[in-house]
Amino acid sequence: MIPLLSVAGFYLFGEFSKEINYRSDKELVSDEIEWIQYLENEAENGTSLILKAPDVSITPTNETVSGEPSITDVNEFNAKENHTVFYRQLSQVISVSGISYRLVIRQSQEQKTALVADVTRIMLFVFAGLFAATLIFNWVISKRLWKPFRRSLQKIRNAELQKMESLHFENTHTKEFNELNTSLNFMAGKIYNDYVNMKEFTENAAHEMQTPVAIAQSKLELLLQDTNLKDEQVQSIMDTATALSRLSKLNEGLLLLAKIENNQYTSTNEINLTQVTKKYLQLFNEFIKDKQLTVTTNFEKDFIIKLHPILADSLVTNLLGNAIKYNFTAGNIEIDIFENTCRISNTSMLEAIPKDKLFKRMFASKDNRETSNGLGLAIVKKIADVNNFRIDYYAKDGMHTFQIVK
Amino acid sequence: MKILIIEDEKALQESIVRYLEHQGFVCEAVNDFLSGKEKVINYIYDCIVVDVGLPFGNGLDIVKELKYMESQAGIIIISAKNTLDDKLNGLDLGADDYLAKPFYLSELTARINAIIRRRNFGGNKAIVFNEIRLEAEAQRVTVNNKPVNFTDKEYRLLEYFIANQRRLLTKAAIAEHIWGDEYLHASNYDFIYTHIKNLRKKLIDAGSNDYIKTAHGSGYRFTDL
Repeated sequence: MIPLLSVAGFYLFGEFSKEINYRSDKELVSDEIEWIQYLENEAENGTSLILKAPDVSITPTNETVSGEPSITDVNEFNAKENHTVFYRQLSQVISVSGISYRLVIRQSQEQKTALVADVTRIMLFVFAGLFAATLIFNWVISKRLWKPFRRSLQKIRNAELQKMESLHFENTHTKEFNELNTSLNFMAGKIYNDYVNMKEFTENAAHEMQTPVAIAQSKLELLLQDTNLKDEQVQSIMDTATALSRLSKLNEGLLLLAKIENNQYTSTNEINLTQVTKKYLQLFNEFIKDKQLTVTTNFEKDFIIKLHPILADSLVTNLLGNAIKYNFTAGNIEIDIFENTCRISNTSMLEAIPKDKLFKRMFASKDNRETSNGLGLAIVKKIADVNNFRIDYYAKDGMHTFQIVK
Repeated sequence: MKILIIEDEKALQESIVRYLEHQGFVCEAVNDFLSGKEKVINYIYDCIVVDVGLPFGNGLDIVKELKYMESQAGIIIISAKNTLDDKLNGLDLGADDYLAKPFYLSELTARINAIIRRRNFGGNKAIVFNEIRLEAEAQRVTVNNKPVNFTDKEYRLLEYFIANQRRLLTKAAIAEHIWGDEYLHASNYDFIYTHIKNLRKKLIDAGSNDYIKTAHGSGYRFTDL
């Protein structure tokens, strides 16, 4: 744009300049003719002439007569006005009545300088105008023309896997966008179908897995009734049964995670987590006593949260269960519940859980592989994420704390 | 006591039948919807154990059919789909109980016993094992006609033992029966031991024989043999 405008500017200036030169040259030549006539008239009267004016000078010279007048650009520094003045100057040696004169006529080129300034100004003005116009035009285009595109983009940004079904990209007036939206509709449909299939597959797989487990477990139970079994055989059966039960619980855990992810447990009802905690303290009382744990509770306020009852149970059993399971004999559990915070701390011999592994699935502590499936905290985290609350963990001086923050 | 088992998994069906027969039930088993429906229409059972997912139909429709016939039989639904909807559906239709797979055969037996006892309107609701007598409704236990006080858990433990008498019961099965899923949060099964010790002591103190036998490393057996 700028080079094009500069070229246009130069071209325009060149054309104007040529025109101005042509005209002033003509003027100069006609002036010259008048001066020559005047000289010839004067010569007939017998006078010779020396003239020195700013614009014209006629001086006798010894130079030989030149046929054609030479017209050139001259500049002269004007000390008074302190700037350079440009002239168009005609200079010719002529002979009038046998006397050679050098005739110099000049014409100020002030207007040409003004012209340069004008052309530049106009060019700049046009350029600025064009630039502004381009900006406005672009803005309008992006507002108007790209509107359907932006709408689609916004839809893609807000797309959620679970709500893919209702995602629809409408027809627009632009063929290209229609093509794009058709493809997007197709893609969204395909993603949703794949997702539903996957979801069904996960659920079915988890459910179907329970049947063979049920068969194996029932056979082991029957086998165990044989009174002729040796101790080692009984032990083997018991180990197998334990492993089988772990498999089944793992399966249940994964299924629960999948269901939470699929938003199958959404609730509009509020639940009092303080009450749930009290309920489970009662239910776990035996395990707490068995481990001789000291439980300190500080139920300052009711912690009310929007949560499905099943998830509330899962959340509290996992956190409280962990606080018991990973505690040592005669250890402590501290429960503090405020209006917006629910904190469960416990003493433990275990090291602090590394941050990067904290809520990872299947990360069971090495010491507890047998009694843990490593899904508990992943479930807790998932519940927190889906229901928009925060779960923090920190460990200090052998005290591990989980904190739910609204 | 006549039980009908409608379960399409042959191996599971066999296990259930064998265990229940051992506990003194008379069992019949079918493995699809149509023969299940035919059986419930033509015969009378005390309890019907029905799987939800069956060939040629849904087990829940058999429950509907039984309710339509105003059958007096107890109904237990067993399902591989442990979903809340499934469970509520089954119970709403009139099933007495719902058991998710996998389950312990001893648990199924205890539930069948409980249902039959509840359904046995006119008859004797007491559970008798030699000198021990459990009056289910009052949760009262007498040994040699003398009342003995048990805690709630001890009572349930005794009931469970008698329903599965002479069978070896693993600690895991006992824990799941008495404590439900909560027991998963205990580090070990030590807590069971305390309850069994107390139950045993109270029974012996009341003049009962020592029926609770410890099977080393695996669990307990309640037996007079």
